[in-house]
Amino acid sequence: MEKVRLSNFVKSLLVLSMIAPLLTGCWDRLEIEERAIVLGVSIDSVSQENEDDEDEVTHIKDTIPVPEGQMIRVGVQIAIPGKIPLGPGESGGGGKGGGGQTVWVIDVVGHSVDDAFMNLQQQMSSRLFFGHLRVIVVSEDLAARGMENINDYFRRNSEVRRMAWMVVSKGKAKAFMEAAPKLERVPTLYLMTTVEEAIRMGKFPKDFIGIYWSNTSKKGQEGFLPYVELKKEQNVEISGLAFFKGAKMVGVSKPLEIGAFLAIKGINPAGYRAFVKLDGTKETVMIASTHRKSKLDVRFQNGRPHFTIHIALDINLEEKMSDSLNLNDPKIIRRIEQTEAEASNRFGMEFIRKSQEFDSDIFGFGEYVRAKKPGYWNRNVRSAKKWQEIYKDASFEVITQVRVRRVGMKAR
Amino acid sequence: MEHPRSITAIQTASILVSTIIGVGVLPLPLFAVEAADSGGPLVTLVAVLLSFAGLSIITVLGMRFPHQSIVEYSEQVIGKWPAWIGSMLIIAFFAVLTSLTAREFGEVVVTSVLKKTPVEITVIVMLLLAAISTRNSIATFSYIHFFYFPLLLWPALFIVALSLKNADVLNLQPIWGNKPKDFLGGVITIAALLQGSFILTIVIPRMRRPEKAMISSLIGLTIAGGLYVIIVAATVSVFGAEEIKQLLWPTLELAKATSLPANVLERLDAAFLAVWVTAVFTTLLSSYFLTIYALRQLLRLQEHKMFAFFLLPFVFVMAMLPQNIVNMYDIIEIVGRIGLFLTIGYPALLLLVSILRGKRGKRHGESSSL
Repeated sequence: MEKVRLSNFVKSLLVLSMIAPLLTGCWDRLEIEERAIVLGVSIDSVSQENEDDEDEVTHIKDTIPVPEGQMIRVGVQIAIPGKIPLGPGESGGGGKGGGGQTVWVIDVVGHSVDDAFMNLQQQMSSRLFFGHLRVIVVSEDLAARGMENINDYFRRNSEVRRMAWMVVSKGKAKAFMEAAPKLERVPTLYLMTTVEEAIRMGKFPKDFIGIYWSNTSKKGQEGFLPYVELKKEQNVEISGLAFFKGAKMVGVSKPLEIGAFLAIKGINPAGYRAFVKLDGTKETVMIASTHRKSKLDVRFQNGRPHFTIHIALDINLEEKMSDSLNLNDPKIIRRIEQTEAEASNRFGMEFIRKSQEFDSDIFGFGEYVRAKKPGYWNRNVRSAKKWQEIYKDASFEVITQVRVRRVGMKAR
Repeated sequence: MEHPRSITAIQTASILVSTIIGVGVLPLPLFAVEAADSGGPLVTLVAVLLSFAGLSIITVLGMRFPHQSIVEYSEQVIGKWPAWIGSMLIIAFFAVLTSLTAREFGEVVVTSVLKKTPVEITVIVMLLLAAISTRNSIATFSYIHFFYFPLLLWPALFIVALSLKNADVLNLQPIWGNKPKDFLGGVITIAALLQGSFILTIVIPRMRRPEKAMISSLIGLTIAGGLYVIIVAATVSVFGAEEIKQLLWPTLELAKATSLPANVLERLDAAFLAVWVTAVFTTLLSSYFLTIYALRQLLRLQEHKMFAFFLLPFVFVMAMLPQNIVNMYDIIEIVGRIGLFLTIGYPALLLLVSILRGKRGKRHGESSSL
């Protein structure tokens, strides 16, 4: 009896000793304070002279042929553990707000994105972690040179989320990493909030990095990115759409033209304001669009696509410039509607013409043809390059219908 | 000797579903889109229909011989030695399939989550789990599947439903694709992902009412195939066909691009992978169980338990053979296509011969009255 119990004891001991090595942890254990959490990345182009700044980390100079083209300067914003407020009510950190205290900005040069990150890693004690990367800022001149390498690196990296943002900056991208807006403790979060609130206010389309990648890949559509500018109080202005042709940035729109884009695509909610000057008089009113709807149709004339875009806009009146205008008069309202409709037609056409000049179909008219008229697409298009050529010659017609719905709290 | 018949029709259906939904779900949209661009969902649907044709052959055969598995009745139908070759090929194929499933699982995990963990460890852990679980009776085996079945169905549907927030119907049109390049090739590749349904051949002899096997296979394949089509349709509508061609595992990317409302979870890939590990486990369990169970029957032994660990080293070594991930997917594609001959062609041959020779097994109930 005693013997049996002993052998049972030995058996269970053996099992325990076998489990022990499995409980010691795993290869990928990485404590949170051992990570360098990258919140934002900026990528600038640098002139060739800066090559001397580079450390010999991924290659020894003049031994391995480096990639052609200019070098880049990559800046990262790394969260300082313990300084980031953990929730809205959290007072943690003890800083007085503003960047520079919650984050640490470092920059390095390299021949490619990964090269630069490795140069950076060599200077950092903790491992770079991209799981919380929210914003990638690319400078205008680098975007114009081509984004292939940048797109490839971030697509390939499994930590990067598709809901992150990529923006094109006017001027140096690194300035966005160093900026310290007063509203948010973490500068990149401020940049992200700017764009995401703009979506909610109807001032910008949804354009996460994943959506940009999808649009770039599509044969009948080009990608676009928000074009941002740093203002003097370190606030961020969304100052347009950056047009892409393939992976190269080819142009920029004006801020109000984002409204034209949203109207043509029929994206809600609507949020842009515009002046309406009634013809014949000197009266001007300001209107705010509240709802957009659009419908696209395509016909073919002599082998060229002709698109008709029907836009329906609901608008509210926001202000008028003089008392002489009586808004109780239905005729006046109708005139406002007509004038705005004409203005919107002209504005939409101009914006489309601008995109045609850039060969950049950011609307996805080509995708519409591919989906709805596969016969034409298979015969005449079939590749992104061919669509760029056809898009240039396509004709358009914008027909807007405007309805004034509300005039605010004031009668007359 | 009569074995206890305990598996119900619903359990059989759930075995089919959780066997079919497995590692192949991740690259599935890529295969579909490479065949026919926006016609991906249609390719998948045709593939599901093709494998349903295959499965119904197996089911009809199983209902003709309600007391025997394919290893046993094939001897009656085409003679001992030809049947021996056929069964050996099936056993070898499912051993290879097990190893490739484990390896593909390991590659996904090492690439996307546990980057520093050696791939050998993830593979061996998964194989050990499957091997330990196969040491149970076929009744327990069916319970395991029945238990996990809702756990892997609902989260998958949930993720798909959430992802539709970013969907664009234009991406799905035209539904037959723009000049499909390799429609048939895509159908065959995807049908190969579904051939785990062959497990039915060993389940039918243990079903309480084998005459319900056809309904079970219809339900099982409708659910699993439906999920396949839904996943492809959701992925294509969110990303567009061209973007999917840039992604190795589009379904995982879909989970990555999907967030729970109100920012509870900003990316669902971790949640999805957790579900997917379960799905891979049930698939591995089935193919490994099939391997050792068929081997037991071929060698006319009473117990299949001892093979569970005996075959493990072979399966593991085979899993380690592919040199890299590109090589691995080439092998998977080739093996899958060869497998279709075994899992559809061979049963079709058996069915034809058995009809011509007028062979059929004892009806259900006849033996119990003995």
